Amino acid sequence: MATSTEAISVAALSKSFGSAKALDGLDLSVATGEVHGFLGPNGSGKTTTIRVLLGLLRPDAGRVRMLDGDPWRDAVALHRRLAYVPGDVTLWPGITGGEVIDLLGRMRGGLDQRRRDELLERFDLDPRKKARAYSKGNRQKVALIAALASDAELLLLDEPTSGLDPLMESVFQECIQQVKRQGRTVLLSSHILAEVEALCDRVSIIRLGRTVESGTLTELRHLTRTSISVETARPLAGIEALTGVHDMVLADHHARFDVDSAELDTVVRRLAPLGVRSLTSTPPTLEEMFLRHYGDDRAAGEKVAS
Amino acid sequence: MTGTGGLLRFLLRRERAGLPWWLLGATLLVLVQSLQSQKLYGSPEALERLRHTIGGNTAVIAMSGPTRLLGAIGGEVVFEIFAFAAIVVALMNMFLVGRHTRAEEETGRAELIRSARVGRPAPLTAALTLAAVANVAVGALIVAVAVGTGLPAAGSVLFGAAMTAVGLVFAALTAVAAQVFENVRAVYGAVALILGAAYVLRAAGDVGGGALSWLSPIGWGQRTFPYTGDRWWPLLLPLGLSVLLVAAASALLRRRDFGAGLVAARPGRARAARSLRNAYALSWRLQRASLLGWAVGLGLLGVAYGSIADSIEQYIRDNPEVAQFLPGGAADVVDAYLALTVGLSALIAAAYGVTSALRIRAEETSGRAEPLLATATSRLTWLAGQLSVALTGSALALLTFGLGEGAAYGLIISDAGQVPRMAAVALAYLPAVWLVVAVVVLVLGWLPRPSAALAWTGVGYCAVVALFADSFDLPGWSQRASPFAHTPRVPLADPALTPLLVILALTVACLAGGYAGLRRRDIGY
Repeated sequence: MATSTEAISVAALSKSFGSAKALDGLDLSVATGEVHGFLGPNGSGKTTTIRVLLGLLRPDAGRVRMLDGDPWRDAVALHRRLAYVPGDVTLWPGITGGEVIDLLGRMRGGLDQRRRDELLERFDLDPRKKARAYSKGNRQKVALIAALASDAELLLLDEPTSGLDPLMESVFQECIQQVKRQGRTVLLSSHILAEVEALCDRVSIIRLGRTVESGTLTELRHLTRTSISVETARPLAGIEALTGVHDMVLADHHARFDVDSAELDTVVRRLAPLGVRSLTSTPPTLEEMFLRHYGDDRAAGEKVAS
Repeated sequence: MTGTGGLLRFLLRRERAGLPWWLLGATLLVLVQSLQSQKLYGSPEALERLRHTIGGNTAVIAMSGPTRLLGAIGGEVVFEIFAFAAIVVALMNMFLVGRHTRAEEETGRAELIRSARVGRPAPLTAALTLAAVANVAVGALIVAVAVGTGLPAAGSVLFGAAMTAVGLVFAALTAVAAQVFENVRAVYGAVALILGAAYVLRAAGDVGGGALSWLSPIGWGQRTFPYTGDRWWPLLLPLGLSVLLVAAASALLRRRDFGAGLVAARPGRARAARSLRNAYALSWRLQRASLLGWAVGLGLLGVAYGSIADSIEQYIRDNPEVAQFLPGGAADVVDAYLALTVGLSALIAAAYGVTSALRIRAEETSGRAEPLLATATSRLTWLAGQLSVALTGSALALLTFGLGEGAAYGLIISDAGQVPRMAAVALAYLPAVWLVVAVVVLVLGWLPRPSAALAWTGVGYCAVVALFADSFDLPGWSQRASPFAHTPRVPLADPALTPLLVILALTVACLAGGYAGLRRRDIGY
């Protein structure tokens, strides 16, 4: 059962549109007060999941709980407690950004005027422009300010920064840090890995409508490979054959290879007797993890080997 | 000018699905009018009677044109249809030029084009060339239709040429407006205002001494007097003005930045008005301008119909052939006429209600519904907010028609009681209008994807039944699905409450059914 320590709990969620399967047994668990990264390639089902959480789509199968309620049945009550930023923000062409922010805030149940004005300042948005005159990035700012100016205890953000410039990206990160300090919960779907690494306590990686990985970044790193570059006094023979060693590039006394993080200890023990002269070990970047899960393994292998 | 040729081919390709309908529409107007006029007033005696009836009727002259045209049957066709066809052709030019100049710049698509090997004036030149081609095509089609229906060739060529010339003025005018304003809605607004002024000026001129008609491009076209004098020289006015306007547009284009206009878009409110706080307020805010347009349009139509209601008796006496088009025939001819016109306005009000209700689907597919439904707004409130505009708005539109028709008719026969009477008459058709809207809601709930096609099929069916059932002798069963067929034809028939209550009950059932469907389905798919 969902408890109050879990803001979102999704188990075995399935959703099809006609013959196309958008979600195929997806699991997702977001603890109260954490910033949870939601990663996956385009078309993997991130937006569909968020729309199910908003009660816009009715799940075919599976269990979905959010803030101790049923997103489909209790939509209106739950929406008072959450704020949402869509991935592709479309606005009404003849209405100004300021009006949209106020309207969405009031429809949610009120917004903090002081914070609204402060956010307008920080995001450098002109609220008097009609929406038809805004660029993609500015439309996104409108939706972001409307969400961040609320007191919602849960923020559902669907690629909220895909149109923002680096300066605005850093403003966004500051705002989310602030939200986190206030103990609020954030589900952040994103493609910007630096943003996820900087903000998220835990991440879930999904692919083809299914969760393939979930945990803290440290945990995920442990599940993947570390890159090793080593130079030894004696020739590096037999290392290649060890379990967990991949993509070895061997040049007599010098080798570069990847090793499954779980096998790291064994491999290092086997290296020591060979007389290690230099050794660098690089933990996998999120990008590498991403590529491993997104692309097929061959594509990821090529990337690492190059 | 580099790239104009390539752009022009591209525009023709983009317009291949839209432009033919405009050409067809303008041509059909002339075709139907020519056939009908020759059938009704083909003989010199019938034409003479018509001159007699219309000569003293300022309302008809204000609606149509100068009476000198009534000297020949071809001129009668020009008298009746030229102003309306000119409005259609002017709108065609406005949308054609606006869409391919300012709208392209506004969406940023023109940026992509202009970054290629394309000269600064190329998009405007291509759009104007396309408009010129369309205007020549309209002219040629009108000549073909007029000659084809047996009108004299010389007058027909002038008729077509006059239409082409009027079209060119509005193409050139739109080209200037597209340089002046930053967004295409303002361009359309300005051109439509000038078009309205052109119509009003020629109306005032034709009723009065004729001087004011010379300030209107539509007036210039009519005052070539095709078939009744064949003067070619007035066409120098529209052609000369078009050249001047195009020169002005290119001068402005050379001086301005990409995306900018002479008139910058006014900034709006930094904060929402206190009242903009829920789905209802938003829907009214978004739709108030279009509702105002429909209501004013129907009100003016009511005034136009009402102003000739009294003379209809005289007209029927002179032209007994027309009586067969009126329900009830020649007896109670004014009431029959009033019933017919209110029935027509009810169809237009239903069309408004359908466009308003279909916005629900547009909000959904555009993604604008999503952030609203992610707030504490239930689907019922969201739906009701938009429906409140469709239902109240169609009632208002119908009511303004009734008030307009009652006021104009009452003024002429000096009977203020016609205003409340006609307002009440118009509202008798409201349940049928609402049922059409409610069926759209039912479709939105259960078959959202084809909703627009289904909704317009419904409106089209009601229109065919209402307009052609009698003349085509459609069997009774084929009309039964139209709520208008069950609405008592007041003021001709006695008002009966039962059918109206049945229609209202069906309306409520359809609305409830539509909501039940909307509540259980996915949003946005």
